[in-house]
Order: sequence, then C-alpha cells, then structure tokens
Amino acid sequence: MEVFLPIAEVSVNILAIFSLSGIVGILSGLFGVGGGFLMTPFLIFLGVPPTYAVANEANNILATSVSGSTTHYLKNTLDYKMGLMIVVGGVFGTLLGILTFTYFKGIGKIDIVISLAYMYILAIIGTAMLVEGLGEIDKARKKILTKKKLHVHYWIHGLPLRMRFQKSKLYESAFTPIIIGLIVGFIAAIMGIGGAFILVPAMIYIIGMPTRLIPGTSLFVTIFVSAIVTVLHAFNYGSIDLILVFMLVTGSIIGVQCGQKIGESIDSTELKTLLAVLLLAVGIAIAYDAFFADHAVNEIIKIDVKNLNPLSQFIRKLSDEVPILYGLFSIVFAVSLGVAAAFIRKFLSALRKKYFKKAA
Amino acid sequence: MPKLLKNLPSEIKKNKMKTGIFLGLSAYWGVILVGTFLQVN
Repeated sequence: MEVFLPIAEVSVNILAIFSLSGIVGILSGLFGVGGGFLMTPFLIFLGVPPTYAVANEANNILATSVSGSTTHYLKNTLDYKMGLMIVVGGVFGTLLGILTFTYFKGIGKIDIVISLAYMYILAIIGTAMLVEGLGEIDKARKKILTKKKLHVHYWIHGLPLRMRFQKSKLYESAFTPIIIGLIVGFIAAIMGIGGAFILVPAMIYIIGMPTRLIPGTSLFVTIFVSAIVTVLHAFNYGSIDLILVFMLVTGSIIGVQCGQKIGESIDSTELKTLLAVLLLAVGIAIAYDAFFADHAVNEIIKIDVKNLNPLSQFIRKLSDEVPILYGLFSIVFAVSLGVAAAFIRKFLSALRKKYFKKAA
Repeated sequence: MPKLLKNLPSEIKKNKMKTGIFLGLSAYWGVILVGTFLQVN
C-alpha cells in the first residue's frame, strides 16, 4: 500500500513505515533511547532522501519526547534547572549544526556526510554496547561483583560559574551542562536525532545526576533541541512532510508505550547485546550503501500540483507560502499527539487498576 | 612478551568467542575506515 509524500516527492509503503516506527518505538521504550539513530537510516533505506529523513525524524522525536517527558512531569522526576542549562548550549549547538548542514548542502555533499556520520556513530555505539554487554554477561556467569566509583572528576568540573542544582543535589559549573548541550545540539541538527545516547551517559558519568532524574531531564532537553531542528529545517529547506510525520509519530508512540511495558518485566542485559549487533548491522548496511552500491541517477520529476489530492495540495501550499507557520504547525501537531498519548496511557492505566480492583 | 606470543594459540583456543568478536569488530572497522578513505579520495 503506497502513499505519495507531497513534500519529499517519493512514494513509500504505509505498512513498512508503521511497522518500522513501531519496532524502533519498542526498542526506544526498552532501552530508553530516542531511536532516531535507527529510524533515520531505515527511512533512507525505504527511499526517503536523507535531507527529508533527518528533518521528519526530528519532528517525530519531538512527539515521542513530549509524550515521555509528560509522563515524567506527572511523576515529578525532572530537573528543570539542569535541563534549561543544557538547552542553552543546545540552542547554540543546533544553530551551529544547521550552518554546517547548509554548508555541506551547498557543496552537494550533505547525503554522504549524513551517511558517514550515521555509520561512525552506529559503529562506535554498537562496539561500545557489544563490549559492555558481553562483559556484563561474562561477569554474571563468573559471578563477579565490581564496585563502581560514585563520581569521577574530569577537567570539565574545574570550570568557573559554579551553581547549585537543588533537585539533583549538585554544585557544579554552569559550563558543564552548556558544553554537553552544545555537542548534543550540533549532532541533532546534522543527523535528525534527539541525542539521548550522548546525553544520558554524559548526565550519568560527567554531570553525576541521580539516575531517577535522567530520563525525564534528557527528554525535556530533547523537546527543545528537536523543536528548533524542526523549525529550522522547515524554514530553510521546506523539508517537513506532515503525512510522513503522522505515520512516524503514530507508529513510534504506540511502540514506545509497548516497549516500556515489556521492559518492566524482562532482563535487558542480553537484549542490549542483541541491540548492539543490530546497530552494527545497520552501520554496515549504510557503509555498503554509501561505498559499494550502484546509485541510479534520480530523474528530476516535475510534479504537477494539480494532479495531487486536495490534502497533498494543501500541505505543499502551506509549506511553500508560510514555512514558519508550517513548521510551528508541525510542532504543535507533534506535541499534541505526544501529550495525548501520555494522557491516554494514564487513563488506560487507571482503568486497568479499577478493573483489577473490581475483579479482586 | 615472547611468553605471551608462545601462549597465544592456546589463549585463542580458550577464548574462541572473544577472539571471534575481536576479529569481527576489527574487520568491521577496517571496512568502514578503508571505505571512508576511498570515498574521500
């Protein structure tokens, strides 16, 4: 079942997009990562041009992070002050990333830059996860217990402008979260990812935040970074496709909720090793696609706007004539779906408790 | 060091899985690095 994307100007299979975003959503829910570093390569494999895949996945991440952080807001597991400091760095990092994106797009090298960036990021994370996962399995077999240091001090902790973060119970330089935000924002803008896979380890090992505050704060930061990336991509390149965003958001929100439920009942150590193998496999597939596959030269097809259906015509007109409004609309659209999903989950959970109480 | 080299075959036999993963990852990184080098040139 094919559907034509009016902005990306390609046809994609609805079922493939739904199922892939659902599977990536389940993995996100299971491992607490955004899933953008898997979904964007999948979109590229499905035929969506990299420039469009990056922008639309950023919009999808916005919806899932809003959904997740609303749940954490309701549980009061969020450090706003630390989150806002990371966002300050994130804003500058995102602007820097968009400038870099514009430069490579200008010289016609953006597709290969995106492919290389994904290949290396997947290879690094996959290798690190595989080594860590196998080490954990090995230790569990040999029944070895290791004591971990609570907090390691790096040069970054000696920076000036120290302040108190009451919720995290930390006294740290404001530059630490700002520098981390800068790196995350830069990578997010180029690759269309939330950056949780960098942010979460940085929050644990460099900032030293309490574990219970990390997922909520990470998702809170991701909201701002992905919102800025979405608006800038919509305004600069007109690359947000609402039909693709709708398919991605629906699939991944359902997947994330399922993944979080599954994660409550299984041990994830061995699954982590499997995820590492999956990441490495996606990385090598991108390497094959970038280095060895024959690329057919795409014909430039001029699409007659009159032949599109009314919805597609409306989306194209909106994107061409009022790009900022279109970008803001796509953000409101993603945020609404995300908040709605969080409240539906809360409602269903309350309903289930009520039902089980009655049954008991 | 020579003692280590002498014992290497038996160590490899002992840790077949670890050796396999190490070789696999080395090949993986080799492909990526060589591919990037060729692409850049």
